[in-house]
Formats: sequence, structure tokens, C-alpha cells
Amino acid sequence: MEQIGYMSTAPNLDAVFSALANPTRRAILARLAKGNASVNELAAPFEMSQPAISKHLKVLERAGLIERGVDEQRRPATLKADNMAAAMDWLEQFKVFWGNSFDQLDEVLADLKRAQAQEKKDV
Amino acid sequence: MSELPEYKIERIFDAPRELVWRAWTDPALLHRWYGPNVETTIHQFNLKAGGEWHNEMQWGDTRDYSKMAFQEVIEPERIVWHHSSTDADWNIITNPMMPNWPRVLLTTVTFEESDGKTTVRLTQVPLDATEAEITCFAGAMANMDHGWGAGFTILETMFAELQA
Repeated sequence: MEQIGYMSTAPNLDAVFSALANPTRRAILARLAKGNASVNELAAPFEMSQPAISKHLKVLERAGLIERGVDEQRRPATLKADNMAAAMDWLEQFKVFWGNSFDQLDEVLADLKRAQAQEKKDV
Repeated sequence: MSELPEYKIERIFDAPRELVWRAWTDPALLHRWYGPNVETTIHQFNLKAGGEWHNEMQWGDTRDYSKMAFQEVIEPERIVWHHSSTDADWNIITNPMMPNWPRVLLTTVTFEESDGKTTVRLTQVPLDATEAEITCFAGAMANMDHGWGAGFTILETMFAELQA
């Protein structure tokens, strides 16, 4: 079930997307962006039990967005940027695809209009 | 799910519809603008219901293949196609990085002229999608604004901390 090797070569971005879709998890990630934190520290700002926070951490861990310390008892969570950066990249590409293509279409149309005007002049 | 998630984009082009239609349907023009900042090669373009558009995009060492299967072509106002990622042999594949991304997006483009300008509307909805595909697409669309914004903010914060 654990496909660590696969994850590192081709991150499962839809896991990243669904992990990011939850506001609590986004808040946890935002907190971790400022440095490592234990479950206790992460639970403090939320009106949530530790087990509830642990559940969110598990989702984030599975999406490859965080790592948990194994040795220490407090198991501090660390943000992993790679998968999130890959997901952001991917979405950005989707988001800009048509918009940027349309910018280029504008240029092609301007060329076509110039060519048509030229033809009329030549006739 | 009663309503499918939808991607929508609309743009007004300062050109008559006849010209915009040409730019969309003549491969020699289409390859010049389709795909942002990439080298686009159109291997096949058979514009009629049942015909296909085989498209390759190249940037750096990456090659990206996709197939558009035309469903409806009404010159000069409407084109409908099934949009899929493919391998180099034009077999539909799932995105290796996004296993739950819809395999087929029903894509509809309409062209409307008014005062010498042309409004182009493009929509994409998952076709024959699994529940997981619909959820994935819905998540991407819904998060397009706030969710992704949050993702970028988190990354920025982290890079700022690393550089501090």
C-alpha cells in the first residue's frame, strides 16, 4: 500500500489537490511553512481534538505534503515543498493554458487582418 | 451528482467571426497559437463529426500528446470535441501525475459575432467520468481561486523563511 518509491518519482497530484481542498489542512500547512510543529502545537489554535488533527496530518502525509519525525515521541511534522510545488505548477499550467493561448491567438488574428488589408491594397 | 463541475473561459477577439473560425480550423494557423510558449505540431486534423485532431506539444525535453475527437462541427459557430491525453500512438491514457483527472473532457467552443468582434466561449466538463474523476475535477475548479492561492501563499512563506 505504501508506494514511497512511486511517490518520489511521480507525485500523486490528485491526493495533493484533495488534501489542499480542506481549510483546516491548509491552515496546518501554513503553520508548518513557518517551521516544524508537534500535534499539540498544531492543535492549539484550532477547536479540535488531537485525534482530529492527527487525522488531518495523516491525509497530508499520504499526499506527500508533510513528513513526520519517527524517532521522537512528539513526532514533529515538517512541510515538504516538492509535491506542493508540482501540484501548483500543474494547476497553473491548466489555468493559464487557454488564457495564454488566446493571447497568442490575438497576435495571429492581428497578422491575418494585416494580410487581408494588404491584399485589398494590392488588388 | 446532479451538476457536473465545469471549466469556463470567455474572450472577445477584435476580429470578424470568419477570421476567428479560420484561425481555429486551419492547422497552419492553429499550431501557431494553441499551447502557450510551446512548440505545437498538428499530426492530424480532420474537422468533421467523427474526425480527429492529433496534437503534440513540446517544451524542453517534454512531449505532450493529446487527441481531440470531433463530435459536432457547425461552421462558423460551434465545435464540440472529446479532449484526452494520449501516448505517442494516440491511445487515451490517464495522466500519470493525476490518476483521477478525467480521461475525457467534453469541450464546447462557440463563436458569436457582434460589431465586427467575436466572442469565443469555451467550456470543459468531464465525460462519462467516475465519481473520483468528478471529485478531482470539481476540486481543481473550486480551488482554482482560494485553494490554489493558499497553496502559493504557503510556498511563498516557506521560501521566504528558508531565505531569511
